[in-house]
Amino acid sequence: MHRTLLLFVALSCVAPTLAGADEQAELDFFEKRIRPVLVAQCYECHSANADADRNLKGALRVDTRDALLAGGDSGPAVVPGKPDDSLLLSALHYDGFEMPPKGKLPDKVLADFRRWIEQGAVDPRKDDPEAIVQTKKAEIDYEAAREFWAFQKPQRHEPPQVENAGWVRRPIDAFVLARIEEHDLDPTAEADRRTWLRRVTFDLTGLPPTREEVAAFLADDQPGADERVVERLLASPQYGVHWTRMWLDVARYAEDQAHIVGNNSSLFYPNAYLYRDWVIEALNEDVPYDRFVRLQLAADLVEPDDETNLAALGFLGLGPKYYGRGSRAVMADEWEDRVDVVSRGLLGLTMACARCHDHKFDPIATEDYYALAGVFASTQMMNRPLNDEVKKKGNQAEKPADAMHVVAEGKVEDLNVFVRGNVDAKGPVVKRGFPRILTEEPLHFENGSGRAELAEAIVDPENPLTARVVVNRVWARYFGRPLVGTPSNFGQLGERPTHPELLDDLAVRFAENGWSLKWLHREIALSATYRQDSRTDEATVAADPENTWLARMSRRRLPVESWRDAVLAANGRLDTSVGGKSIQPDDADAVRRTLYSRISRLDLNPMLRMFDFPDPNVHASRRVETTTPLQKLFVLNSPFMTKQVSHFTKRVREHAESDAERIDFAYELCFAREPTSAEREIALAFLSDGDDTEKRWQQYAQALLASNEMLFLD
Amino acid sequence: MNVDLQLSRRSLLQRAGAGFGTIGLTGALQSAGMLGTARAANGSLDGLHHAPKAKRVLFLFMNGGPSHVDTFDPKPALLKHEGENPTERSKGRGAGYMPSPFRFAPQGESGVVMSELFPHLANHADDLCVIRSMHTDVPNHEPGLLIMNSGNQQPIRPSLGSWLSYGLGSENRSLPSFVVLCPGLPVVGPQLWSNAFLPGRHQGMSVDTNDLAVEKLVANVRHPEWSRGEQREQLDLLGQINRLHLASRHDDPALESQIRSMEMAFAMQREATEVFDTSGEPKHVKEAYGSTPYGKSCLLARRLLEADVRMVQVYYVNKGKQPWDTHSNNDDKHRSLCADGDKATAALLTDLKQRGLLDDTLVVWGGEFGRTPYAQQNKKDKDRRKAGRDHHHTGFSMFLAGGGTKGGLMYGNTDEFGMHAVENRVHVHDLHATILHLMGVDHERLTYRYSGRDFRLTDVHGRVVHDVIA
Repeated sequence: MHRTLLLFVALSCVAPTLAGADEQAELDFFEKRIRPVLVAQCYECHSANADADRNLKGALRVDTRDALLAGGDSGPAVVPGKPDDSLLLSALHYDGFEMPPKGKLPDKVLADFRRWIEQGAVDPRKDDPEAIVQTKKAEIDYEAAREFWAFQKPQRHEPPQVENAGWVRRPIDAFVLARIEEHDLDPTAEADRRTWLRRVTFDLTGLPPTREEVAAFLADDQPGADERVVERLLASPQYGVHWTRMWLDVARYAEDQAHIVGNNSSLFYPNAYLYRDWVIEALNEDVPYDRFVRLQLAADLVEPDDETNLAALGFLGLGPKYYGRGSRAVMADEWEDRVDVVSRGLLGLTMACARCHDHKFDPIATEDYYALAGVFASTQMMNRPLNDEVKKKGNQAEKPADAMHVVAEGKVEDLNVFVRGNVDAKGPVVKRGFPRILTEEPLHFENGSGRAELAEAIVDPENPLTARVVVNRVWARYFGRPLVGTPSNFGQLGERPTHPELLDDLAVRFAENGWSLKWLHREIALSATYRQDSRTDEATVAADPENTWLARMSRRRLPVESWRDAVLAANGRLDTSVGGKSIQPDDADAVRRTLYSRISRLDLNPMLRMFDFPDPNVHASRRVETTTPLQKLFVLNSPFMTKQVSHFTKRVREHAESDAERIDFAYELCFAREPTSAEREIALAFLSDGDDTEKRWQQYAQALLASNEMLFLD
Repeated sequence: MNVDLQLSRRSLLQRAGAGFGTIGLTGALQSAGMLGTARAANGSLDGLHHAPKAKRVLFLFMNGGPSHVDTFDPKPALLKHEGENPTERSKGRGAGYMPSPFRFAPQGESGVVMSELFPHLANHADDLCVIRSMHTDVPNHEPGLLIMNSGNQQPIRPSLGSWLSYGLGSENRSLPSFVVLCPGLPVVGPQLWSNAFLPGRHQGMSVDTNDLAVEKLVANVRHPEWSRGEQREQLDLLGQINRLHLASRHDDPALESQIRSMEMAFAMQREATEVFDTSGEPKHVKEAYGSTPYGKSCLLARRLLEADVRMVQVYYVNKGKQPWDTHSNNDDKHRSLCADGDKATAALLTDLKQRGLLDDTLVVWGGEFGRTPYAQQNKKDKDRRKAGRDHHHTGFSMFLAGGGTKGGLMYGNTDEFGMHAVENRVHVHDLHATILHLMGVDHERLTYRYSGRDFRLTDVHGRVVHDVIA
C-alpha cells in the first residue's frame, strides 16, 4: 500500500526538465559522466537484465529515468534538483545504503552525480513504460477473507442424528459416528479392559499402569470404574508431568543457545527448569487455559504485585538469543522467533511468512507482522535475580545461574515495516497491535509493550482460533491424527478439519467449561470413540487406511519420553518425583522421567535426537516419526539399555523361582497382561537352551524391552 | 504440493519409513540406482530434474577461513602498495596491505595458479576448478559457518547435507546418507549438520575422528559383551515375539517397518564396522594421507564415499579451535596448515581418481570466508612475521573438483587487491544452487513444506554457475 503511495508522491514531484537551459550540455554530461558509471557499477543488479535474471535487488532499476524517479523498495532513487533527497546519492556516499557494495566510488564521481541531480537529472533513457510501473499492492479484502472457516468464530453444534445412537457416550461420539456412518463403516468393538487401561494410563500420565493398578481396575466391577480411573489419573501429579511435554514442544523450550563463543555461556538458561516446573504445576492445578496463556505472555503485567507466576514468562524468556544480538538485523531475527512461537503456537497462524512480504495465502499483511513484532521489540529478555543476595548488574542478575529467565518491559517502540525484511529499508511505522483479520475493528496496543493486551486478544472469546488450536493439539495426542492435520497452520495452506463441527463444538464447550484442560481430557478419554479396539477387520482398514474417520482406534507409537519411562518403570527404578533440575536421559544411571531431560539447542542429547525429538530452536507443530537402524542400535547396544536390561533381569529373576512365573511377571511389567501360551513356549524354549542361564535371561529380557509391544499402544 | 500429497508423505513416513533415506525427494519409491536413470522418487518431484553429473559430495571444510591471497588468488599489487590502507572504510587496524610471501605459479597443462604451499595439489591442477570470486554475507564465524552450511545465518534451517539426504536418499541402506567427520566439534557445532525441520534421519551423523577405534566412531555399533552369534540368536527370539504380535494386528506396516529396521541395524553393525575401520588400509596409502586428524579423516571419507554415502563432510578443525583463523602469524600458520591440508587433499584426489570415483564425486574445498588482503597487527609491533589477517567475506576462493566440474579452470576474479569479488561473482547461495544442480536437482524445486511455506536451501536466492560445469 505504502509503496504505491510513494510512487504517486514521486511522480507528482517530478520537476520539468530544464526549461530553457542548455539541455544538450546536460545530455552530454549525462552520457560522459553518469551513464558509464551506472552501466559499469549498477546495472548488474539494477536493470531490466538483472530483473530478467531474477537478480534485481531492492526492486530498484536505474536503467531508465522513470525507473530512477520511481525508485525501489525504499522510495525514489532520484529527486531531480534535490540531491540531498536523492537516495541514489546517499547510497553512493555510503550513507545508509552502501553502493556499489564493492567499494565507494571516487569523490569526483560523487560530485558528478550531485551536479547531475542538481541540474535536473537529465536522462534520455526510456523503455517500455509498463516495465517500471510497480505492482500495486493488493488490498486485503478482510470481509471476504473472514469467510474462510478458520476466521469464523466457532459455534456450538447439536450432536448429529446417528443410526447407532446407543453407541454414543459423549457428545464427540455423535459427531464421530456420523462421519463413520457417512462412509458406510461401523465402529470397532470396545478394546478389552486391560488394553483400555494401558492406553488411558499412558495417554494421561505417559506411564504404564502398575500391576496393582491393573489388578484393582479388573476387580472393580461397579459402575463408574472407568470414570474413577480417569479421575485418579487426572489427580496424579504425573498427569502434569506428561502433558507438560506437549506444551514444551509448542514453546520450543530449551536451556541454552545454538551458538557459543569460546566458553561464554552467559546467554544460556541454567534455570530454565523453573519454567518447566511452572507448567507442570499449572497443568496439575488445571489452571484455565486462557489464564495459562495470559501468564506466559504477561505474568509481570497481569499480576504486577504477585511474583508467584513470574516463571511462566519463560515461554518468551527462554527463546533463542542469536549470535551478534544488538545489531538490528539480528534482533529482527529474534523478534521473528517470538512472533512465530506466539502466532503458530497459540493461533495456528504462520505470521512469520509476512516478515518480508504480505502473506501469500492468508490475509496477513506485512503491517500485521510488524505490529506484532513491535510488541517483542518493546520487550526485553531478562535474567531476574532469584533473590536479594545474588550479585546484580542493574536490575538483572550478573550470572544466569542466579536468575530466573523471563522477560520484562523494554523501551517501547513501534517498528517500521522493513521492506522485504531488510532492516535498512524502512517503510511506514506500524502501531503495535493485533492481526487485522482477527478483530472486527483494528486493535492497537497502548500500554507498555502491549504484551498484556496481546494476551487478552489471544484469549478473547471472540478470537476464532485460540480454543480450536489447543483442542486440536490435545486431540492429536489421543488419536495420532489431529482434526486439523496441520496443527500450527490453520490457514489456506493448512489442512481442513476432518470433523469441523466436532472441532468447533468441542472448542466452544471447552471455553464454556472454564477453559479446563482436564474437562477436555474427560470428554475424550471417556468417549466411545476412544474405547474402540485398534484391532479391527481388514475391510475397515482397507476403507480408511489413514483412519481419518475413526472407525477404530489408531495404533500409536510411544514418544521417546514414554518409551524410556516405561523401560525404567519395568525395572522398578523409575523416579517419579516432580520438578527440579535436568538430567541426561541416556545416562545409564539417570532414573528420573524423560521430561526432565536437559534440552539443548547447541547439542541436543543424541538419544532424543535419534528418536524424533523436535529441534528446540523453533516451535514444533507436531513430531515426525522416523524408524531407523540407529534407533535399534541404541536399543540393542547402548550403555543405557544394557544397564536397564541388567536391572530388569534382576528384578524378574528375584521375583520367583520358576521361569514360568518370571515370564508372567515380566509380561505384566512390560505389557500389563499375561503371556499367551505360544509366548510362554517361545520364552521357555529360549531360556532352557544353553548353559549360561543368566545370559539367556538377559537376552530374553532385552528382547521384551526391545519388542514392538513395548513401543506401541493398541 | 496439495493436501493429499502431504498426507501421503506423512503416511509414508509412518508406514514405509524404514531405513535411511527411503523418503528421498519426499517419496518412498526410490532407494537405489535412480541416479543412473535420472528417475527419482514421487512427492514434490517426480524424478531428478535433469541428468546428474555427480552422485556424492565431499565437502572439505577449512574452518576459520583460509587466506585467498596466500593460496589461490595472487595479488602483486599488495607488494606495490604494501602498508597502504585500503581507500574504503578499513578494519585493518592500520597495518595496511600485506603481500603474500608465497610464490605463485601456473600448474599443470591448464595453468591453474596456486601458491607454493600446495606442491602436491599442484599435480591435480587440471582437476581443479578454482572459484576466485566467492562472497558471503558477514565476516563472522558463526553466521558465516551457518550460511556456508545451511544458507541462513540463524540456526533454524536444514544443512546442505540434510537437503541432499532428503532429496536423494541414500544408496546404501546400511549407512546414514550424510556423515560428518570432525575431530571434536567446530564452532557452532551440530547445528552445522542439522536437519532442522526435515525428518530426523536427515541429520548428519557426526563422527569424532580424534579416536579412530570403530566403536568410538559409531555409537552403539557393538554390544559390549555379546558375540554376533549371540545377538543373532536374540534377534531371532525377538523376531518370533514381534511376529506373534504382528499376526494379531493385521500385519500393520508400521510394526513391520520396526521389524525390518531391527534387521537393518544388525546388518549395519557389520557394514559400519567394516567401512569405518581404516586399520586395514595399506601402509603406503596411510602414509600418503598422513597421520594428522585431517589426513585420517580424508582416508575415512574415501571409504565412506566408496560405500556410497551421499555426502561426507570433513572439518579441518582442532579441538574446538579454528585452525585457519590466522589473526596472527598468518604466514607461518598457512605454511603448516597447507602442508597438512595439501598432502591429504591431494592423496584423496589421487585415490578417488584411481578408483574411478572422482568422476561422480563432487569435491568442494573452502572455508566460511577468506582473509583480509591487509594485515592485522598491533601498530607498535614491527615484526612482520607476527602479522595476521582478519576475517574477509567480500571476496575469497574455494575450489571444486570432479563431479562434472570443469577441471583446470580459474573462475571469477577479485579486484586488484583481492578485496572484492568483481568478476563472475559467486555467492554462497550460487554455490549451493550449483552443487544441487550437479546432483541433478533444481534448487528451486527441492522444497519442504513447513510452517506454512515451501522452504528451500537457497531460500529466494541462488543462481547455478553454469560456467564451472563441464
